[in-house]
Amino acid sequence: MAQIVVYGVITGAFYGLAAVGLSLVFGVMRHMNIAHGSFLMIGGFAAYWLFHLLKLDPFVSIPLVMVILFAIGAALYKGLFSHLDKLPEGLKINNSMLVGFGLTWVIDNLAIMFWTSDVRAVTPSYTGKVWHVLPGLRLPVVGLVIIGIASLVIFSLYLILTRTYFGKSVRATAQDRDAGNLMGINVERTYLISFALSAALAGIAGVVAAVNYSVYPTVGFEWLLKAIIILVLAGFGKIGKVFAAGLLLGIIEGVSVYFVGATYREVVGLVIFILVLLRRST
Amino acid sequence: MLEVEQIDVYRGDIQILRSVSLAAKDGKITALLGSNAAGKTTLLMTISGLIKPLRGGIRLKGHQIDKQPVHKIVELGVSMVPEGRRLFPEMSVFENLELGAFTRKARETKDQMIEEVFGIFPILKTRKVQMAGTLSGGEQQMVAIARALMSQPKLLLIDELSLGLAPLIMQHISETIKQINITKGLAIFIVEQNVFMTLEMADYGYILENGRIVGEGEAKKLLQSEEVKNAYLGIEEV
Amino acid sequence: MGYSKKGFVITGIAILLLILFPLVAGTQHTLNLFIVLFITVILAQSWNILGGYAGQISLGNAAFFGAGALSFHFLAWRGGLPLYLALPAGGLTAVILASFIGIPALRLRGVYFAIGTLAFAEALRITVGNLFPLTVYIPTAQIVSYGLLSRYYLALMVAVITQGVAYCMIKSKIGLAMMAIRDDDEAADTSGVHLFKYKFVALVFSSFFSGLAGGIFAYYQDSIVPAFLFTPQWTFEPLVAAAVGGSGTLLGPMIGSVFLIILTELFALTLGKAYLIIFGAIFILVVLFFPGGLIEAAERIRKSIFG
Repeated sequence: MAQIVVYGVITGAFYGLAAVGLSLVFGVMRHMNIAHGSFLMIGGFAAYWLFHLLKLDPFVSIPLVMVILFAIGAALYKGLFSHLDKLPEGLKINNSMLVGFGLTWVIDNLAIMFWTSDVRAVTPSYTGKVWHVLPGLRLPVVGLVIIGIASLVIFSLYLILTRTYFGKSVRATAQDRDAGNLMGINVERTYLISFALSAALAGIAGVVAAVNYSVYPTVGFEWLLKAIIILVLAGFGKIGKVFAAGLLLGIIEGVSVYFVGATYREVVGLVIFILVLLRRST
Repeated sequence: MLEVEQIDVYRGDIQILRSVSLAAKDGKITALLGSNAAGKTTLLMTISGLIKPLRGGIRLKGHQIDKQPVHKIVELGVSMVPEGRRLFPEMSVFENLELGAFTRKARETKDQMIEEVFGIFPILKTRKVQMAGTLSGGEQQMVAIARALMSQPKLLLIDELSLGLAPLIMQHISETIKQINITKGLAIFIVEQNVFMTLEMADYGYILENGRIVGEGEAKKLLQSEEVKNAYLGIEEV
Repeated sequence: MGYSKKGFVITGIAILLLILFPLVAGTQHTLNLFIVLFITVILAQSWNILGGYAGQISLGNAAFFGAGALSFHFLAWRGGLPLYLALPAGGLTAVILASFIGIPALRLRGVYFAIGTLAFAEALRITVGNLFPLTVYIPTAQIVSYGLLSRYYLALMVAVITQGVAYCMIKSKIGLAMMAIRDDDEAADTSGVHLFKYKFVALVFSSFFSGLAGGIFAYYQDSIVPAFLFTPQWTFEPLVAAAVGGSGTLLGPMIGSVFLIILTELFALTLGKAYLIIFGAIFILVVLFFPGGLIEAAERIRKSIFG
């Protein structure tokens, strides 16, 4: 049983990592970035190609992947989403979801065109290594790295948001956009940077996915599904709870798979999602 | 300091301000009076850059600012205490003040400005770490003013100071503002419904009605003028 | 918008033409094309009622489509239910399923419904893929007696019914309520419009007809991979058709579907995957810059010519 919990924690850490970017964007701009999954996918492929072409260890390539995705996110925001800025909130949310949906379509199909639908994984030399702690308790090395990365990323984000001027301006803008402007905060630029940052965060998750799972052009939607469930579980815009929500989902999934079998794994998440919605709506 | 020249401002398709011209002199307190839907808040929002005028111009110390983005106008030295305070509710008093000093220039003098505003509003020092959303109306107003002062502005805009405040607190705050004007020589442009208190504090005043300026003059004279007495003070005395 | 008498006449003629068409000029290829067109129209209008009129963006209509298709397959081909029972049953299954996500999600803000439907469709896709990994086939008896013509008329009939019901609904009080909700749900609420009721009605329409479309598809195809029925393309293509044609209009989904199918015909072979990307790009541009779609463009042209 303890083994199941361990795997659940690893999965959960990944879920939290995958969701944190989505949470950031929604918290700051009330924008549900449907294309988030595709950013993850790009991150995964970037890690794959860097590994195969440059022999770059995936975890070492994370900073580079972050930069790539930051640039892509910034370009997409500037080119597309910024046009929706002037709209009233309801319409803005709706249209940004539609654009995000369209973007996913375009990006995923571009990926199929350039990289084929083949499944890829990054398998560095330490992939199978396991650390035997106790009899019956095995800790995969990669899994520990994932937990470490997820913790580091989320903690760093927390520090940035609470200790730096930039982070405070992001939180302020999220709470009251006009007042933010009146403080001299360039709100449009803040939005741009937040969006690009969330893409970079998705990229990190993508690298992890490439190593621990696998990537293929349409994998984005599956990870988006998980991220959405985490987001609703944690409460919109609360980054601190995202990690906890991820761990919770990971463990619950792991435990129920043990009892119910792997076929219904996704249903577990979905049921939790619906239950949370029910609770919110009453 | 501030010159507004014949601006026409629309919200959506509706024209709110018609050919409004006024000036706020350096070092003086200028008041804008008018009843509820006259367009006072719209005017302040236009000066601060949140709304752009369709026609006309606004100049700050000779610089044209009506086409600039809001954050640039703030950098040029305009600071606003918005209607309803608009504090950042889930941030502490201290953090709200810090954000008041967000511009690069202001950050350099942040620490001394914090000390200064704590000097002006001592009660805020005790509330330093409290979430701004949990403060009383009067305390929030003080934070809003303090926050606006943090960037050491050349022009301070104040929108509806008295809204939701008890008269005693209102009195205290308006005296404090008068003090700030005297000690710092800060130009203040204040928009208000509370005519009496505002004209007591101000040097010069304008009256806005249905989007037009219908009267102006030195504050003392306005206070004694027949129209103002009938139109506004009459209502208040009830 | 149908201008009463003239609109009805034009519609009647169009339907007549579509009925006569296969007898006069129908080749296998064109019949297949039209069937796909009709299915797309049904799905596009389904999305449109929910998203374009009631303002509830659904990103998971594939779930309803797939549910309808899968239940039709099992009821008709495995269970032996006759066509006229299995098809509505498929639609009903979709409605029941839609309620699972709809009832909690529609009480909340629009974002929840959008991501809820998205999550729902994706979770179903993966689960169905786990439960039924193998391709399923039409029973051999059906293959022998397979008639493309009957598929054509079935699809045409359901498409016409869909448009008809949509028309009646939109012109009625229900339609007004939906549009009020779309334009300003708080105002509608304070005016006494029962938000949840009308959102739910839109959901029932959307899911039922999407389910019917799924059933038609299952009737039409000789083999299907179950998980494929729930893939995002079944949400996305009708969505694009509705949006590009003009969401929030009755004719938009039809025009958009025609546009989509024509472009597919012209470019699918020459450009391969690239044409999908082009559609996506057009869609994004429409949402950002031409929210009224082709219908609005046509209106503008008409106005500038005729004043």
